[in-house]
Amino acid sequence: MFQPNTLRIGTEQAMKKKVHFKAEEADTGLGRFKGLEVRIGEIVDDEWDESMGPTPMPGPTTLRSWDHKILTKYQPSYMPYCQVCCLCTMGKCDLTGTKRGACGINMKAQQGRIVLAAANIGTAAHLAHSRHLIDHLIDEYGPRTKLIQGPGTEIHAPISRLVTGMRPRTLEDASIIVDYCESQLAHGLSATATGQEGSWLDFESKVFHIGMIDHLALEIADLAQVSTLDMPQADPDAPLVEAGIGNMDPNKATILTIGHNIIPAAAITDYITEKRLGEMVEVGGICCTAWDITRRDPTAKVIGPISWQLRFIRAGMADLVVVDEQCVRTNVVEEAQKVLAPVISTSDKAVMGLPDRSDDPVDSIVEELVTRKIPGAYITDHKKVGEIAVKVALAMKPIRAKKKFLPSKKKIQKMAETCKKCMECVRACPNDQNVQEAVLAAATGNMEPLREIYNNCIGCARCESACPNEYDLHSWMVVAGEQDCANETYMVRTGRGAIQDTEIRKVGQPIVFGEIPGVIAHVGCANYPGGGQDVHDMAEEFAKRRFIIVTSGCAAMSAGIVKDENGESIYQRRSGDFDAGSVVNVGSCVANSHIAGATIKIAAIFAKRNLRGNYAEIADYIYNRVGAVGISWGAMSQKAVAIAAGFWRLGIPVIVGPHGSKYRRMLLGRADKERDWMVYDARTGERMLTAPGPEHLFYAAETVAEANVLTAKLCIRPNDTGKGRSIKLSHYVDLHETNYGFFPEDIWKYIRRDADIPITLKDKILGQMKDNRWKERPTPDPTLLKEQIHGGGQ
Amino acid sequence: MEVASNMMKATPWQTGEICGTDSAKALTKADVLKRDLKKCKKPLLIVGSETRTEKYGKGTMLDYIIELSNAGNIPVIATGGVIKDFLEKGFENAKSVGAMEMAYFLQDPEWKGPHGTGPYDMIYTYGIPYFMQWTLLSSVMNFAPEITPIAIGRHFQPHAKWSCPNLKEKNWHVLLKELVTLVGGGST
Repeated sequence: MFQPNTLRIGTEQAMKKKVHFKAEEADTGLGRFKGLEVRIGEIVDDEWDESMGPTPMPGPTTLRSWDHKILTKYQPSYMPYCQVCCLCTMGKCDLTGTKRGACGINMKAQQGRIVLAAANIGTAAHLAHSRHLIDHLIDEYGPRTKLIQGPGTEIHAPISRLVTGMRPRTLEDASIIVDYCESQLAHGLSATATGQEGSWLDFESKVFHIGMIDHLALEIADLAQVSTLDMPQADPDAPLVEAGIGNMDPNKATILTIGHNIIPAAAITDYITEKRLGEMVEVGGICCTAWDITRRDPTAKVIGPISWQLRFIRAGMADLVVVDEQCVRTNVVEEAQKVLAPVISTSDKAVMGLPDRSDDPVDSIVEELVTRKIPGAYITDHKKVGEIAVKVALAMKPIRAKKKFLPSKKKIQKMAETCKKCMECVRACPNDQNVQEAVLAAATGNMEPLREIYNNCIGCARCESACPNEYDLHSWMVVAGEQDCANETYMVRTGRGAIQDTEIRKVGQPIVFGEIPGVIAHVGCANYPGGGQDVHDMAEEFAKRRFIIVTSGCAAMSAGIVKDENGESIYQRRSGDFDAGSVVNVGSCVANSHIAGATIKIAAIFAKRNLRGNYAEIADYIYNRVGAVGISWGAMSQKAVAIAAGFWRLGIPVIVGPHGSKYRRMLLGRADKERDWMVYDARTGERMLTAPGPEHLFYAAETVAEANVLTAKLCIRPNDTGKGRSIKLSHYVDLHETNYGFFPEDIWKYIRRDADIPITLKDKILGQMKDNRWKERPTPDPTLLKEQIHGGGQ
Repeated sequence: MEVASNMMKATPWQTGEICGTDSAKALTKADVLKRDLKKCKKPLLIVGSETRTEKYGKGTMLDYIIELSNAGNIPVIATGGVIKDFLEKGFENAKSVGAMEMAYFLQDPEWKGPHGTGPYDMIYTYGIPYFMQWTLLSSVMNFAPEITPIAIGRHFQPHAKWSCPNLKEKNWHVLLKELVTLVGGGST
């Protein structure tokens, strides 16, 4: 329920933006209202000890000037994925080269437009998730429920402060912020309509804007759920939980939950707890729902990342599949039917064609699902979902127990003998796995090549869609990898939520001075070119070097699915503190906000900068001082673009895997153009040359080797101290020599004075400096903003 | 890996990779490049991580790229860390640049490159993962029209000017040999 008199209207610290919100039912001093819609010109939170910054609740062009500064340094390099535009009925229009479409758009602007469309889609997914959570939690707990990020988080909701000037203290505050996000998303989406924006630069600025909104929506979603659903709150000792298909107990009825929105899955685990059915039923999650159910109930299990949906369903291990939203395989009903598993869809975003049974009695729905009168049901009442899911899973368990859903090896061998050798399976595979060769090997009884593919497969099943014999090739891989599947048993640390201010206090200075060489965030989907082990290996490489490693989402699972010689995962070996050498799982996709939040808090805690509505100054601070890099090795969905865009606007570089090239544009610097690397010295206002660091803002690396070298290099920041710069350069040189086989030729560019030179590399670097006629230069107090020059740049 | 004859059609290797109105011409014999080779004076070889794994004769495509580079005195850009393999073979005419950096730098008509021999008017591409090479070549096609791109891998890259139409390995190797002769000034 919403009580508008909790907001005070008017007075001196008023926010500039208008607020509009709705409540289905409101209990106010004036009476009780249904369907209330309120518009407020200004709201006040007068308990602030910092003044409001210049840009609270920015509109689509408010931060355009900041964006252009970044986009001038890191210009989009477009690589059109498609040469035509087919978005309106004047088309299709051929935009190749210098041609223009019927609406006047050219190729570059069209690419910017498509990137904006992707960012809008991704943000819409996160924002609608956030909206659903807030509305649901307000219904459940009331609008004045407190939002609590956890102990040691005095700087509560840093993104909200930075962007809106608000600190959301209750669910109703959160709703106001989500209202703001929704209005901005509407503007962003509108800009992609035919006859709207026409400049690539402005499209890109809007991409940044929508990315910022995405981060805000993520922060609100996670803040709301950790405040109300008993999840770890900024807890570095969040529990270790079981992960991997092999950890699922085949003797229990199994409920598979897929997606990102915990509400239905939470109702299931609640029902199991309430009825004390834990010995008979277990719940496993795929994708971010997995993290969020284990954050709430550590006895639930993480089955695996998004790419394991099909292998788990095909293996016949799920007695029931419950889907919520985002990253759900869209033919999940068809797949589940093959293994006699009913499906319950729970989100209006992913109904999956199932009949709406929300208002029917529980027992009749259970009966129809168990007798397979219907393949599944769409049920919006989450409490009902909890009860039905458990009852159906328990009833299906004995029915399904004796069935075999996978073909025998003998049958596979026989079918493989009739392979047409057409190569269509290979041509369909996004990672060019030689499926045909593996099928031909299977025809001789050798299942090993299929097993190897199982271990690299991202589970898209395009191979079998392409197969003229209609072989269930993915199932064959699951059979070949049966033992690997059973051995998939890992312990992973579930998501901790936010980073504490006290942790930031400890590491803020060494990060800003460069002595902790960087914060590396492994985030995103599981569209990996060579399996998930790459993510683990990259995380381990940099944790060993005492970088701070942060993980989230499916990447956090991949980091945990490799065991060392002692059988321990990276999360068992390394601490969950936000500290050098640690591996910190913040949680699901929505917890990505804590990674951005930590960088923002560094500016507030270490440099004592005001955050409220002060976006450009803080982004400028982060860009120039905080050596953070995001890596989304399996970047796949539009959500990954939205998350990346939020980091770009904060000046944080993002590396994606090779498939990320299909995002069709990179943001790249030119190290060879000195004019691109000028900054103001905030002390004097003088324009000064800095090293080209970070060199790029968005880059698709071809190999892990390239990603590792680039990661070390992109942690370099203009503000590094001599000691910090020399540490960063040592890592860059070492990784370059290891992966590329030679001493990097550009080290001299990063030397400002002798103190920057790593002592053990002095001879080589001095030689390089001499060859390039190096000249000493002072270290500025770097800023891209004229207004940050002491005295206001006058 | 043998390829069925119906793949001789010039269609993208990854079947979903449909691009637009322009598409490369099928490169089945090196002779067809004669006119472009005569016109273009500054070629560059851009090769990726798959160079170290794909077989060629008794060695790998690394050996072939070195042979091709030496025959035509063509500088090599090695992407994705494959530079290490070139250096281990003692080959010195290769420099390391990322594939996505190349897609960007080639759009600059004044870019001289790490060898200092640019700007280039012709590129040969090979060994970068199919979809990445696809996007790199798209960038060249749209924003660097002065460059003639030739994809010398087996699989069809529609954004090049010339590309092998998913050739059988045997036929592809014949073509590669012809190409060495051609860039070396001989006749095929």
